Amino acid sequence: MKKELKIKQKERTNPLAHVFDDFIRFCQSKSLFMLHYCTGCGAIELPPAMTSRFDMERLGIQPMVTPRQADILLITGYVSIKTLKRVILTYEQMQSPKYVIGICSCTVNGGMYWQSYATAKKLNEYMPVDVYIAGCMPRPEAVMAGLQRLKDNIRNDKKEHKGSAWKDYFKRYDYYLGNQQALFGEDWQTPTDIIAEAKLYGLETEETYGKHTKLLEKHQTPLLPQEMRIK
Amino acid sequence: MNALHLMAELIFMPLIAFIVGMMMVLMMRKISARLQRRIGPPFFQPLYDIVKLYGKDTQISHGLIHDIGIIMAVGGYIGAEILLPVPGMEGIAAKGGVITLSYFLMIPSLGMALGVGQCANPNGSIGISRALTAMLAYDIPFILVVFGAAWHYQSTSLIGMIEYQQVHQWGIVEMPLLAIAGLFALQGMLGKQPFEIYIAPAEIATGPMVEMSGKYMGGLFVMQTFQLYTAGVLYASLFLGGGTSFLTLLPKAFLVVALPMSIAFMFPRYKTEDVIRILWKWPVMLGLISLAFIL
Amino acid sequence: MNKVQIDEILNKVNGIKITHKRKTRIRVDVDADSLPTLLELIKGRASYIHLSAITCVDWIADNQFELVYHVWSYEEKCLISAHTRIDRGSEKNPAKYISVYDLFKPADFFERDIFEMYGVTFIGSPRMEKFILTEWNGVPPMLKDFDAEAYVQETFKWTDYNPDWLQELTDQGGGIAVKPEDIRTAGNTHNMSTHRERDKAKAAAVKANDKMQGWKQ
Repeated sequence: MKKELKIKQKERTNPLAHVFDDFIRFCQSKSLFMLHYCTGCGAIELPPAMTSRFDMERLGIQPMVTPRQADILLITGYVSIKTLKRVILTYEQMQSPKYVIGICSCTVNGGMYWQSYATAKKLNEYMPVDVYIAGCMPRPEAVMAGLQRLKDNIRNDKKEHKGSAWKDYFKRYDYYLGNQQALFGEDWQTPTDIIAEAKLYGLETEETYGKHTKLLEKHQTPLLPQEMRIK
Repeated sequence: MNALHLMAELIFMPLIAFIVGMMMVLMMRKISARLQRRIGPPFFQPLYDIVKLYGKDTQISHGLIHDIGIIMAVGGYIGAEILLPVPGMEGIAAKGGVITLSYFLMIPSLGMALGVGQCANPNGSIGISRALTAMLAYDIPFILVVFGAAWHYQSTSLIGMIEYQQVHQWGIVEMPLLAIAGLFALQGMLGKQPFEIYIAPAEIATGPMVEMSGKYMGGLFVMQTFQLYTAGVLYASLFLGGGTSFLTLLPKAFLVVALPMSIAFMFPRYKTEDVIRILWKWPVMLGLISLAFIL
Repeated sequence: MNKVQIDEILNKVNGIKITHKRKTRIRVDVDADSLPTLLELIKGRASYIHLSAITCVDWIADNQFELVYHVWSYEEKCLISAHTRIDRGSEKNPAKYISVYDLFKPADFFERDIFEMYGVTFIGSPRMEKFILTEWNGVPPMLKDFDAEAYVQETFKWTDYNPDWLQELTDQGGGIAVKPEDIRTAGNTHNMSTHRERDKAKAAAVKANDKMQGWKQ
C-alpha cells in the first residue's frame, strides 16, 4: 500500500548535536554486522575467516541474518542478472550507514565469467561499493585485510572521505537507476522510496533526478500486499 | 529513607545492572570463543555494539505499538532491577518481594510480543509464539523453585532471605535439589541452547528480532544485559547467600551466569515440544521432591 | 540380459543403428519419427525406466538439432543414449518435436530447459515457459549463431583500469601480467572459433609481456 511519506527534514541545529559524532564513528568502526549474501562461489571463503584460525569476531564483526540488522553487505562471487535484482532489493532495505564489500574478481570486472550474457560485470554501476577484495578466491588473510581497510576508512572518514560511499547512492540516484533500468527494463521499481530518503538525509543534489527517475515515476504502480492463500 | 535517597537508588541500580550486565555479555562471548578455540571480542565490544546501534542514521519503525513494545521490554527489566536488592542499595525491595519480581520478569516477553506482532513479518510471529511457549515451559519450574525457597525461608522478601543465609548456611546446602531445578529454569530463562528455539538464527532469521534494527535492536541488546544480571543476582540471592558487599556478590553472580554458558555451546537446540516436555518433567520432579522434604 | 537379447529388442524398431561402446554404455541412432516408440519399447520390455537427461546439440553446418535421450536401467546397470536429428528451423518457423512427458515424468524439466536455451518447442509438454533465464528477452542463448561475447561488449561497461591501488602495486613491482584489452578486443576472438586458438593468442600475449618485463622464460 503506497503511503504518503511525510518527510520532516530534521536539521540538527542543536549546538550539542555533533559532540558525539567522533565517538559514534569510532564505535561504528569497531562493531560491524555483516550480512553475507552468498551470491556465488566466494562464500566458501567466509567460514575460514570466521572460525578459529582467522577469527573475525576479534575485529568486532559478527554475522547477522537479515538486512535490517546488518551494516555490511558482502557480495561474494559472480552476480547474475537474476541475483542482481534481489541484491538491489536487499541493499535498499538496509539501514544507513551501510557498506558494500565486493569480494572476488567477478564483482570487479567480470572475472572468470566475463563472456557470459547473464552476469553483471561491474558491480559499481548498480550500487556504490566501498572496498573490493580481488582474488579468485581471495585467501582469508586477504579478506581480513580488506575488512581492516574498511574499518580504517570508516574511522578516518572525516579526514579522508572514503568511508561514506552510501551517500553516493542518494546523490547520484539517477545514474544508478539508469543502469538498473538498462538491465531490468523500464518498469523496474523497488518498494523503497529512495528520493524521499534522500530528502530526509539532506543528500539531494541535482544529479538525484534525471530522465530515469522520470521514467520511474511514469511506471510506478502502487505495491499491493500479497494475497495469502492456503491451497 | 528519604525521597532523594530513593531517587538516587532508582537511577543507580539499573545503571550498575547495565554495566555489570555488559561485562556478563562479554564473558558469555569470551567463553563461547574460548570453547571454539578462538580469541573473542575485545573488552568494550558490547558497548561498541550498543552505541553503534543507537547511532544508526535510519530508524525503521512499524508503528506506535512497535515502539511501545520495545519500551515495555526494557522497562520491565528496569522495574525488576529496582526490586532486586544489592549490597548498599535496596530500592523498593522492601515493598515487593520475590513474587512481584516474578511478575516483573514476565513483562519483557509480553512487550516484545506486542512489538513483534506489529512488525507483520511471519518469521517474527513464529519466533514470538515459540518464545511465549518457551516462557510457559520455564515458568513452571521457576515458580516452583521460588515458592519452595520462600517457604523454606519463611518470607517472600529477598532482603529477609539474604539475611537468613548470612546467619545460617547457604540455601544451596539446605535445598540442593531445588537449586538444581533452579539451574534448569535458569537455562530456559536465559534462552541458551538447548532451549534456544525462539531465536534460531538460521531457521527463522532470529525470530522476534527479524525486523528490529537500529535503536530497537539496541534496546534488545540492553535488555540482554539486564536479563543476565537479573538472573545471576537473583539466583545468587536465593541460593548462594547474596553478599554483604559487591566484592562477594558479583563473583557469585558471574559464576551462576557462566555455568549455563559453558554447557550451552555444546548443545544443538530442541524443538518447542521437546522444550516443554523436558522442562515440565525433570526440574518439576526435582522441585516437587524437594518441596516434599521442605514442607 | 546379454547383448543378443537387447539387440533383439532394439532391432524391432525400423532403421536403428546400435553401437555397444562398453558394458554399461549403448549408443543408438534412430530417426525422429521412431524415437518415442523406441523409448516406450525399452521402458516396457527392457526395464529402462529412469530418464537421466535430455540434451541437445546444435549442428549449425547441417542445419539440424541433435536430441539425445539418456535412459538408465537399474536392473541391467546400463545406459542407452538415443540420438536423433530434427530440423533446425528458423525464426519464423521454430523447431518442434514431440514430448515424452507421458512416458517419463521428469522429461518436462529437461524439455523446458531445452526450450529456453535452444528454442525447441515440445508439443505435449505441460509447461513450456522459461524458468532459469527469467530476465532474458533475447534469442535462445545456446545457439551457435548467438555471439555471447559481442553481446557482452555491447551491453556492459568495463572497469577503468587505472585506479590508485593498481598504481601502488605497479610502483612496488607488481601489476597485471596480461592486459584485458589484449584478450577482449571486440571482434578479435569471436573470429576464432575454437578455444585452442583463443588460448594460443592468450599464451602469446603472456609470453610477450614476460619478455617485456625481463622475467625468465
